[in-house]
Amino acid sequence: MKATAADAAIDLRGLRKTYRKGKQTTVAVDGLDLVVPRGEVFGLLGPNGAGKTTTIEVCEGLTVPDAGSVRILGREWRTGHDDAIRSRIGVCLQETKFHEKATVRETLELFAAFFPSGRAVDAVLDVVSLREKAHARQSTLSGGQRQRLAVATALLGDPDLLFLDEPTTGLDPQSRRQLWDVVRSFKAAGGTAVLTTHAMDEAQQLCDRVAIIDRGKVIALGSPTDLIRSLGAEHLVEIDGEHFAERIAAAELTALPDVVAHELSPARVVLTVRSVHTALPAVLALARQRQVEIHGLATRHATLEDVFVHLTGRHLREDSKS
Amino acid sequence: MRARVLLAVARTTFREFWRSPEAVFWTYGFPVLMAVVLGFSFQPGELPKVPVAVVAGGDAVALLTTLGQEPRLAVQLLSPADADQALARGRVALLVRLDGASPVLRTDPTRPEAEVARLLVERRLLAGPETTLPTMRNEVEDRPGARYIDFLIPGLIGLNLLGAGMWGVGFNLVQMRTQHLLRRLAVTPMRHREFLAGYLLGRMVLVVPEAVTIVLFGHLVWDVPFRGSLLATALLVAVGAFAFAGLGCLLATRARTIEGIAGLMNLFQLPMWLLGGVFFDVERLTGVVRWAAEAMPLTHINRALRDVMLAPGTLLDVTVPLLGLLGFALACFWLALRWFRWQ
Ligand SMILES: Nc1ncnc2c1ncn2[C@@H]1O[C@H](COP(=O)(O)OP(=O)(O)OP(=O)(O)O)[C@@H](O)[C@H]1O
Ligand SMILES: [Mg+2]
Repeated sequence: MKATAADAAIDLRGLRKTYRKGKQTTVAVDGLDLVVPRGEVFGLLGPNGAGKTTTIEVCEGLTVPDAGSVRILGREWRTGHDDAIRSRIGVCLQETKFHEKATVRETLELFAAFFPSGRAVDAVLDVVSLREKAHARQSTLSGGQRQRLAVATALLGDPDLLFLDEPTTGLDPQSRRQLWDVVRSFKAAGGTAVLTTHAMDEAQQLCDRVAIIDRGKVIALGSPTDLIRSLGAEHLVEIDGEHFAERIAAAELTALPDVVAHELSPARVVLTVRSVHTALPAVLALARQRQVEIHGLATRHATLEDVFVHLTGRHLREDSKS
Repeated sequence: MRARVLLAVARTTFREFWRSPEAVFWTYGFPVLMAVVLGFSFQPGELPKVPVAVVAGGDAVALLTTLGQEPRLAVQLLSPADADQALARGRVALLVRLDGASPVLRTDPTRPEAEVARLLVERRLLAGPETTLPTMRNEVEDRPGARYIDFLIPGLIGLNLLGAGMWGVGFNLVQMRTQHLLRRLAVTPMRHREFLAGYLLGRMVLVVPEAVTIVLFGHLVWDVPFRGSLLATALLVAVGAFAFAGLGCLLATRARTIEGIAGLMNLFQLPMWLLGGVFFDVERLTGVVRWAAEAMPLTHINRALRDVMLAPGTLLDVTVPLLGLLGFALACFWLALRWFRWQ
């Protein structure tokens, strides 16, 4: 679907933002273009410091960009429509502490009062499964419960456009899935959602399209399936063992049938392959011939993480380098 | 300005305060505690003795006897070194030493008790050892309304308004900023003035009961009278609270850290504690210090409160300070709204 500026929920052109602290300057967003049509769940993916939060906060009107144009639901910030935009968006910041002594219900009632119209507090409590904690004070909530409360405040105004900055960080698997359901039903009701995440499975399951961001730029854009397909192969073969780099040359790996790309290190080989059943016997035969000892073998579907590695040669998250 | 938003913010702000036992104690308990301590330490009674020292050497012992006849003096004989130290530390108000036969009086005139000591010593030395001086009957002013505690109670109300504006409003706003709560609030369709107004309302509804507590306490324990217009006092408290809340807001517009706001608050609070007419009347100050004191809102609140409560006065007597404080408050808010930083 090709969106035009008029009907897009978000339209960013040539966005640029630099932070200056003394002599040190950080280019957080470096000429970023992005169009998110209405009705889409859109994911921003990228390593720490890529510029996701900065981009989202520019959209929310919290950060003023140095250059570029920003249209949110067809309107621009600081042109006299700020309150109109704010009453149509819902925001969950990467970190917020609400009033410590207020209960969950009281916090929601406060936010509900800000919106001219919106959803009932009780309904939102149910959506994020915090009904039992309605009378618990903020200071007694667990991290995940606080996170769900933050999401609930974003839903109160019955927004057209929802911004969720790492909404599932710190949530247990069940709460994560619950939150996915929240986003899905929000979309089913016609809403547009933009979220950031470090979790590949989340992006793959939840997002219609994702933008992979690195160093303030969009380096890949499309549906998760399309992006993975762009690797030219959808499977990965991961082999752990010893002496790979000494005994096998990189060119030999590429020459194997159906192998599209590879990563070679002394104790590990990762092959991106079109078809496991032709590539796997070939690589095992090669390993046996060179007397390479194999300790472990796994095959899996390619993920967005692999797309990122393919594009940048780096991993999205340090801890995903297993 | 939507009343619904204003009240929601006020309610949340008030609850946040009311549910913090420490905050409630420091607001209600502390002024009362201070009244107790100061009230009991400055009870009217006997005229206090003034400590002076005779420096050893020559006929110092005779001098000691002469001065010892003055009932208002507490005289001691000290070696030259000890005497210098006693004066330096303020343990004695005056030193007398003999230069040949003639006595020399040594004081530090910046200390308030120095002149009293000099007068008492001079009087006794002029009279000589034998003479009995004519005594006059002394009366101690201990009628309610004229004692130090009566002076102090209105000052404590003023001090409390200052604290509520600084800690209650200024400090808490900065805390909300550091916790990213302000920016979360800023991305809702709530307007800035609705928030600030509601926030102040929530923080300030308590100042009136607070003032009542202090007045009642003073009345029950020390019989501190309340003579003037109740309406004028209530208005003064409300407008005074508003003025300090405005100052608190203004100081909080830019500060990004707790340390930053604490420093700024001290810069404004400390001089007002010292010179704002809480513990002594500013008319006693002179020169630049007096001008500084007159520039402080606390000075005017305290003076007006005393004029109403003790003089006794009516609303008419305090319209000028009331309008002045109102103007100050409005100016602070206007600037605060312009400069306020949400993140
Ligand atoms: N207020 C600020 N002052 C200075 N530098 C900042 C500020 N906010 C962000 N930056 C810098 O801008 C860059 C982008 O930050 P941003 O928060 O947008 O990253 P992110 O993609 O959200 O990262 P994460 O996944 O860790 O949340 C980082 O290098 C960061 O250090
Ligand atoms: Mg971020």
